[in-house]
Order: sequence, then structure tokens, then C-alpha cells
Amino acid sequence: MTGHYLVLSAILFTIGGIGVLIRRNAIVVFMCVELMLNATNLAFVSFARMHGSLDGQIIAFFVMVVAAAEVVVGLAIIMTIFRSRKSSSVDDANLLKY
Amino acid sequence: MTPVYMAAGDIPTPHIEYGRLAPVLIVLGAACVGVLVEALAPRAQRYGLQVLVSVVGLVAAFAWTIALGIGDQPHHVAAMGAVGVDGPTLFIQGTILVLALMSMLLIAERRHEDSPFTAQASTVPGSPEERESLVAGLVQTEIYPLVLFAVGGMLIFPAANDLLTMFVALEVMSLPLYLLCGLARRRRLLSQEAAVKYFLLGAFSSAFFLYGTAMLYGFAGSVRLSEIAAAISKQGGDEPLLLAGVALLSVGLLFKMGAAPFQAWKPDVYQGAPTALTALMASCTLVAAVGGVLRVFYVGLETLRWDWRPMMWAVAILTMLVGAIVAITQTDVKRMLAYSSIAHGGFLLTGVIATNKAGLSSTLFYLAAYGFTTVGAFAVITMVRDAGGEAGHLSRWAGLGKRQPLVAGTFAFFLLAFAGIPLTSGFTGKFAVFQAAMAGGAMPLVIVGVVSSAIAAFFYVRVIVLMFFSEPLADGPTVSFSPATATAVAVGAFVTLVLGVIPAPALHLAQSAANQLFVR
Amino acid sequence: MTTMNAVLAAGGPELHPQAAEGVQSVAWLLIALPLAGAAILLLSGRRTNKWGHLLGTAMSLGAFVVGLLAFFQMLGQDAEGRSRLVHLFPFISAGSLKVDMNLLVDPLSISFVLLITGVGSLIHIYSIGYMSHDPDRRRFFAYLNLFVAAMLLLVLADNYVGLYIGWEGVGLASYLLIGFWQYKPSAATAAKKAFIVNRVGDFGLSVAIMVMFATFGSLSYQDVFGQASQASQGTITAIGLLLLLGACGKSAQLPLQSWLLDAMEGPTPVSALIHAATMVTAGVYLIVRSHAIFELSPDAQLLVTIVGVATLLAGAIIGCAKDDIKKALAGSTMSQIGYMVLAAGLGRPGYVFAIAHLIAHGFFKAGMFLGAGSVMHAMNDDVNMRKYGGLRKVMPITFATFGLGYLAIIGFPGLSGWWTKDGIIDAAFEKGGTSGQILGWLALIGAGITAYYMSRLMFMTFFGEPRWDEDVHPHESPKVMTVPLILLAIGSVAGGAFLILGDRFAKFLAPVVGEPEAAHKLVTPYTAIVFALMVVGVGLAYVQYLRRPVPRTAPAGNPAVTFARKDLYGDALNESLLMRPGQWLTRLTVYFDNRGVDGLVNGLAAFIGGTSGRVRRVQTGFVRSYALSMFVGAALVVGALFLVRI
Repeated sequence: MTGHYLVLSAILFTIGGIGVLIRRNAIVVFMCVELMLNATNLAFVSFARMHGSLDGQIIAFFVMVVAAAEVVVGLAIIMTIFRSRKSSSVDDANLLKY
Repeated sequence: MTPVYMAAGDIPTPHIEYGRLAPVLIVLGAACVGVLVEALAPRAQRYGLQVLVSVVGLVAAFAWTIALGIGDQPHHVAAMGAVGVDGPTLFIQGTILVLALMSMLLIAERRHEDSPFTAQASTVPGSPEERESLVAGLVQTEIYPLVLFAVGGMLIFPAANDLLTMFVALEVMSLPLYLLCGLARRRRLLSQEAAVKYFLLGAFSSAFFLYGTAMLYGFAGSVRLSEIAAAISKQGGDEPLLLAGVALLSVGLLFKMGAAPFQAWKPDVYQGAPTALTALMASCTLVAAVGGVLRVFYVGLETLRWDWRPMMWAVAILTMLVGAIVAITQTDVKRMLAYSSIAHGGFLLTGVIATNKAGLSSTLFYLAAYGFTTVGAFAVITMVRDAGGEAGHLSRWAGLGKRQPLVAGTFAFFLLAFAGIPLTSGFTGKFAVFQAAMAGGAMPLVIVGVVSSAIAAFFYVRVIVLMFFSEPLADGPTVSFSPATATAVAVGAFVTLVLGVIPAPALHLAQSAANQLFVR
Repeated sequence: MTTMNAVLAAGGPELHPQAAEGVQSVAWLLIALPLAGAAILLLSGRRTNKWGHLLGTAMSLGAFVVGLLAFFQMLGQDAEGRSRLVHLFPFISAGSLKVDMNLLVDPLSISFVLLITGVGSLIHIYSIGYMSHDPDRRRFFAYLNLFVAAMLLLVLADNYVGLYIGWEGVGLASYLLIGFWQYKPSAATAAKKAFIVNRVGDFGLSVAIMVMFATFGSLSYQDVFGQASQASQGTITAIGLLLLLGACGKSAQLPLQSWLLDAMEGPTPVSALIHAATMVTAGVYLIVRSHAIFELSPDAQLLVTIVGVATLLAGAIIGCAKDDIKKALAGSTMSQIGYMVLAAGLGRPGYVFAIAHLIAHGFFKAGMFLGAGSVMHAMNDDVNMRKYGGLRKVMPITFATFGLGYLAIIGFPGLSGWWTKDGIIDAAFEKGGTSGQILGWLALIGAGITAYYMSRLMFMTFFGEPRWDEDVHPHESPKVMTVPLILLAIGSVAGGAFLILGDRFAKFLAPVVGEPEAAHKLVTPYTAIVFALMVVGVGLAYVQYLRRPVPRTAPAGNPAVTFARKDLYGDALNESLLMRPGQWLTRLTVYFDNRGVDGLVNGLAAFIGGTSGRVRRVQTGFVRSYALSMFVGAALVVGALFLVRI
């Protein structure tokens, strides 16, 4: 039973990872990262169920809080660079290289 | 988070050893005070208050750490086992606090210009608003609490005895750094780009870290390192969950310390970030990250070392070579030092891989030695200035030795320490980790280490040659002196020299710290 | 324990120095004073130009006074207690190598101390006048002081490491002083030559020290000599030969003699102090000091005597052919040191005469060199004796002192050379056997040649008609130069008798080198032969250089004369045997270095640089490509971990 959830979690994580690689919009890239975190949460909760302990569920809450904090910081950063460059494409920001 | 099944409402009140956690609490408390200062104090007084709060907080935390270190044999867990207070941890925390104090000297510097940080982060680079804020002499004093939060996270990271605490610490340390990276006063586009890159990649890597944690939780039923270790020795290491978890966890950790192939963020971020902050990241963050790596691999995964060693060998070799080789063709001072930092991460990994007491103590010593040299070197970079801010391009440094022999000489000394020339701390550190690695049977690693040291020596010496044997530029950069920065440089140079000439006391300290090993 | 072995082995006196007291306990002052002088003069720059020479002289005199006091204190002690140790500090402590820096004040070292500081002080005083017009006089005195300090360390150290440091120190001072007028290419070349030839000898000494350490585990005289008898014969012979090589380099003995003649490019006081009286005798000191080793190896001893005899003849022959007054004297120095080395190789009876001749030679040769300097001063620094002549009338004091030195060196009865040189010849005959006869007769012949070339020098310089250049107006030198000449002349006259009469010096040195079996006989059958040969030599020179006029340019001469003029082709030999093959080897190495090593290094550097240029392109600046590398990296890490399992 939990196996299915884990497979789903893995699929979500992979989708998120691939999304980070192929999407150009910084916001979408960031959303893909959030998707990966959510996949993790799913895994935690499934394992909590599997082990019959609450730990996994509590961890999921921690992750949510951290993710929320990350959103705050991330959006702030993406906002500033959007205002400077009038673009939210991550490919436009490549002054630093080699 | 004990694996005992608990019904809802059954969670007991945790008991927290405030005394043993005090250094962390003091730093985080100072950060909160900083936030209050920002909210309540008038703008004119904020700078002074913030610097005061930061310095007092860091000094007090350091003093408390010392007290914990000498008070008794520190080998405890605190906060229900979530945090370890032991010899290596206290050594790492003490190192982080001193290095943070030194970096604070650079961050609070306002002789060169009003602040190394932007006047108002919300203004668009090149806009009239930005010019207004510059003219008005605004400074972004929020950086001080942000730095303190980051330092607080760094203090918890190597102390965390379970992976959840470690994850939270990772984020507490990283999130302020993401922001701070984007706050450079000059070259703001570069700075913002660095922040975006650092943030996206950092978030990406923490997803890996977290997924690895989930796998290990699935394997062991707990995220406590000691219980993971127990589960490994009980069930053996055949579980795919365990191996996948270890791998993904390692990705997150190795990213933080900038090991190849997860090093890509480092050059860009180090170059784009304000130099004062680069100094903090290159020293404190690296120390914290390596501290975390040490704890995870020494406490949680030690019994599995035959499995992760080949992978870590490959990572260490790749890291040393990539760092040393790519640095050769760099033209920006900060970028060059970033690659040098990657190479040094590789050297540190050779000490980690040894997984013995010698490996632990030599890595600790190396961390301290490298941290001081790094802060000193970046401090020198903040002093060498052009009309447009710091003179980043190496060609601008040509002939500096003829016009500013003292500054150029000190920088040359730091570079020689990076290269590991005898009579500098770099030599002692490298010697110690290579010796430990050799004792651990990692001869090939040592050979690669020596080869890449030799390659690395080339670009360090190239800069020295450039400074001392080239004709000075007619419109060359000037050197801006200030007591605070000069203090940071002097402390860095002094420690680099002392640890090189009479390393015995520091080595002994690292050894006695390592002798107690990490608490489980 | 070990000392007992030493007694049994060497048959010599016990070597168990007691701690020094009184003045001797501050024997370090001997070295410290001139060293301080050198440091002050070299570091303080032009500020001390005005009084630097006085300071240098004062330091040398101060050392002389300390030496004298230590000497008198020693006279008050009984023979057993005349070897005193001054512990200074632990010098080297690395692993099993422990060297304490101690000074050994014993009759042998104190003899040298008095010679070095006494003659040295006189030469310092003389130099005040001689160098008065030189803009670099301060530097000159600094180097002189440095030399005196190093030489004193050489003779006072109680171990081979200290000796070696002094040995190198005098080599350095010699190099600096030969090349003192470094703007003269000949002086610079001569300095380099001296340095390089000495390296060969120093190499021998350093290897000897290493062998000693490997064999005995210690380098102090006490330990080495004490355990010498336990080492194998081969080892002892090897050490002896290596020490001999060192002695040959420093004392200009065959085959390392070639540098000494060129070393005359240095200022004349330097030639007098370093290249006649003191430094070049260091080899003799080394052999006598290490007598416990040589006595255990008859082969090494025999080689020492052969080297001595060969050099004494070679030096004498060279001395016959030189028109340059200083080079003639240098040839004579070689020859006289040859006598000393011969004596040192003869064993017990010879040591005393070696050192006595060394001291006597120190006086008369230093006196003659300074006299030659005085003459050169008068002749506008011309050294060609063919342009001298008749100087006895214009330079009476120089003539008188030089003449006394001359009589001393040719062995005129009663003067110091007679006492000491005859002693050496006697000792050679007393050695017995065929070798003793050969050595004795060759030494005799050498004495005859000595009389010849020294008379030639004397007659060409001071007698006959003046052959001066037109613009030369000779005059006597100032007092500051003549007073040292007079003092040295007194030493030349009386030194020998003082030392040899009543076996005084033999008894004095007995605690170090052992008591000779029999008292020295003053007159032996050979005395007459020596005297006869001397008369023949002087007569020959009289006929050739006083009865006949001396041409102002040297006649072509027969092949034998050319042979002698060219220093017996010593340089040519060195060139073809050592220099050419050396150059070939160097060229080969350079070729290999350029093509092989550099090629490899450059190729490697280019490869790494190229790799760097390509790899850095991977850092594209696109955050998504970084993420991709992380993703791939993560996949690889996962893969690697699973792979290990399989």
C-alpha cells in the first residue's frame, strides 16, 4: 500500500527535478523545487504510516514551514532581479560565467 | 521523535539544556534583538546599535563556547538528543564564531564607502531612486540580523544530531545568505544574479537533502543519526532505501561545501556577492558544511563506510582537480579564490574519508587554518579599490607590490598559505590531512592531492609574480586603509603565520577535541 | 672507558678535558670579539668609516690579550690539567645527532690562538697604513675580523662540526678578501678559483665528518679519538684520506695547490695573514689534531708524507721561476707548508716540529709578505722583481726585517727556520727504512732549492743596480707599517730557538700529541749537509743574479724554466682533467634539461592550461545547466553507491 505512495512521491520528485531543468521562468523553476519538497512530504507521511510513528508527519509540518520561509526569500530575490532586468527568465541572467 | 508509537496528545514536554545550547541561543537571540532594533530604533542610531548587538552576541557566544570546552569533558546531547555538544562540535563552533567576528569587521566596514552593501535593496540598479538613496546615505542595516541568523544556522548545522534539525539548520543558514548575496553596493546586477543562482540551486539541493532524509527515515524509522547507524548495523546495508538515502543526502551536503560535481554555484556566487559576505561564506559556511559532513559520515554512516568511500574518493579527486585546473585560467581575483576554495574542499574531503581520529583532528585543524587565511585574503581584496569599487580583475593588480608592498606582500603570504608553502598554516594543514589519509590507506588520494596542490601553486604564484614583477598600471587601483579591515587582515596573517611556524598548540587542541569524537 | 681505549690505541696521553676556569672559561670572547667587530663594521655602514679600522684592530688586539691571559693561566696548570673544556650551548640536537658547541682550550689550540691573534693583530696594525688610501678600508677590516673569528673557531672547537664551520668561515673570508678589489677581473677570477678548488677539499672534509658520525655516532674529538681503535682499518684509512683531501684544499697541497698562486691578487696584508701565516696552515692543524686517526693508519700517514714532500719540491721549483715577488713568496709558502705536512705525517716526533715550523713560518713569512707589501708600496704597486734592485739603501728597515726573515727561512744556523726545518729533516730520516731515506733526502734537496730561490728574490730586490721605472721614487714606509715588520722580524729570529731549545715546545704540546721518545738532538750528521746545500743554493743565486746584471725582461729560458713558470702546468692539468669533462657534463645536463625535463614540464603545463580553458567553458553561466550538472551528479552518486553493492 505505502509502496504506491512512494512511487507517486518518486514520480513527483522526478517531475519537479526535470521541471527545474527545463523551465526558464524563475517562478516556475522555483515552483518545481516546491513540488520536489512536496514529494518529499508525501514520502515522509507514507513512511510514518509504514513505521506507525508520528515522526514523519511532524517532519512534514517542519518542511512546510521551511518551504514557506523559502518562498518568502525566493520571491523577494526573484522580484528584485525581475525589476532590474524586466525578465524572469533564468537564462537571461548569465553575466557570471566561465 | 523517538520511534515509540505515540497517540495524539502524548507528546511530552521536551527538556532543553539551555546552558549547553547557549552559544546558539545567544547568537539567535542577538539576531532577534537586531530585528527589534530595526523596528524600533531611529534610523541614525541603527548602525551603531546593530554592530554593537552583533559583536556582543558573537563575543558572548564565543566566550560561552570556550567555557563549555574547558568546563568539563563536553560529550553531551542536548534538547532531547537533537543537538550534540561535544569536542569536535565546540571546536567547529568556536572557529565559526571567530571567523564570523572577523567577517563582521568587513561587513560593518564603512571607511571605503558607506557600506559594502546596497543602500536600498528595493531600488532598481541605475534608477534615479537608487541614486537618491545613495545620496541620502542610506544603509541597509537589516544585514546584521541576517548575518546573525545565518551564523546561528551554521552553529546548529554541525551540531545537529538528527537530520531534521540539520535540515532546519541548513535552511536557517542558507536563507539569509541567499538574500545577503544579492545586496552588493556595486555591480548590483552581478550580485542579484548570484543571489538567484545561489537560491535556485540551494533550494534544489535542499530538496535532494530532504528526499535523502526521507529515504533514511523510511529505512530506519527515525532521522536520528545514532538510530540510523544502529539500524545499519542491525539490518545490514543492502536496503535500496538506505543507499538511495545516503546518496541523496550526500548530494545536499556536498553541494553546501562545493564539492564537484556540485561546485557550479561557487564561482558565480563568490564573484557576485559582496566581498565581505564572500569572506563569511568562504570561511564560516565552509566550516559549517564540512562540520555537517563530518558528523553525518562519522556518526550516522560510519558503519557503511565501505559503501560510500569509493564514491567519496571519486568526488574528492574530481573536486581537487576541477578546482585546481579551472582556477589556472581565471582572471577575476574572487573567482580565482572561489575555485581555490573548491580545491580546498577536495583536500578537506581527503581528511573526511580517512574516518579515523587523525582524519577528524586534521580536518578540524585544516578548517581553522583555511578559514583564517581566507578571511584575510578577502579582506585584502576589499582594500584594493578602483573608481568603480573593488578592483576585481587580476590585470588591475599588476605591479601592486611596487606601490603597496605591505598589502601586496600580505596577500602574497595568504596565497602562499593557500598553496601550502612551509611556514604557513596551509602547509601544516595539508600535511596533516594527507598524513591522515595516508594512514587511512588512501594513497592515491594523497597523490592526486599533491599533484593538484602543485597545479594550484601555479596560479597562486602567478598572482604573486603579477603583483611584484610587473610594471604598475598608470591608473592602477588605490589601497584604502581602515582600522577594521586592517585588523581582519592582521589577525588572518598572524594566525596563518603562527599555525605555520608553531602549529603544535593548535594541533593539540584539534586533537584533544577530536579525541572525544562526536557524541551519538 | 673510551678514554682508556684512546690511550691504548693511540698510545697517547689521556684526553679528558676538565671544565675551564678563570679567563679560559670566557674563551668564547676570543671568537666573539672579532665577530662583533665584523658585525658592527658590516652592519653599520658608512657611519663607522672614520674609526672602523681602529675598532677592527682593537677587537683583534682584545682577542690577543684574552689569548695571552688564557695562555699564562695554562702555564700555571700541571700537564694533566692543560686541556680545558668551555661548554657554550647545545648546538645541534636532531635525532641521534647531538653536537654540543664546546671550546677546547689546550696547548695545541692555544698555540694557534696566539699565532692567529698575535700575527693577526700586527697585520691589522700594518693594514691601517697599507690600506689608508683605500675607500673600502672599513669593509677590509670587517672581513679581516671575520677571518680571525672564523679561524679561532676552527682551532678552538672541540668537535668536527665546529671545526667545519670555522673551516668554511675562513674559506668565505678568504674568498671575500682575495676578491676584495673585485673590480679587477683577475681578482674576481682568483677569488672564484680559490673558492671552487677549496670546495673539493671541503667535500673531503664533510664526507669525512659524515663517515665519522656514521661510525662513531658522535663528532666530538673526545668521542671520535676514544673510539677510533674500535673502527675497522678500512674505515680509519678512509677517514684519514678524506681528512687529507680537506687539508690539501685548504693548505694548497698537491693536487689542490693551484689556487694559492692566484690568491696573491688580494691585498698584501691578506696574503700575509691568510695565505701565509694562518689559514693555509689549517690543514696542518687538522692533521695534527686528528693524529689519533692517522696513527692508526700507516697508509694514510705515508700518503700524507708523500703529499708533503711532493708539494715542498713543487713549491720550491715554482718559487725559482717567478718574477712576481708575491708569487715567488706564495711558491715558498706552498713549499714550507709541504714541510709541515711532511712532519705531520711522520708521527710523534714530527708533530712538534710541524707546529713549531708552522709558528716560525707564520712569523718570517708574514714578515716577508709585509716587507714585500712595503716594497710594492714604494714601487707604485709593481710586483715585478726585475724592476726592483738596490732597494736596501732607500728602505733600510724593510731591508733589515726582510733580510732576517730571509735568513730564517733558508735555515741560517741559530735563526728560527734552522731549528724547526732541520728538526723536520731529522725526523724524516729517523722514520727509518727506505721511505725515511727518500723523504729525508728529498727534504734536504728542498732546503737547498729554498736557499736558492729565496736568495734570488733577495738579490733581485734589494741588491744590485736599481732597475726602477722612471717615475718610481722609492721611500721607506711609515711607522705604522714598519713597527709590525720589526716585531715579526724579532719573532723570525728568536722564535725557533725559544721553542726548540730544551724541548720546551715538545713538553708543552705533550698533553695533546704525546711525549717524543727521545730528546731532540740539536746537531746531527744531516745538519752539516743541510748547511752545505744552503751555501750552494745561495752561491748559485749569487752567481746568477748578483754577479751578472738582471735583465728587465725575463729571458726566454729553457723548457724546464717554462715548466716552472707555468706552475708546473698545474692549471693545464686541472683544465684537461677536471674542467673540460666537467663542462661536457654540464652541457649534457643542460641539453637533457632543456629537451627532456623542460619539454615534459612545458608540455604538461600547456596540457593543463588547455584543459583548464576547456573545462571552464562548462561553467556556462546558465543556472539550468548548473542544475543539470547537479542532477547528473546526483544520479552518478546514487549509481556509484548501488554499483559498490554489486
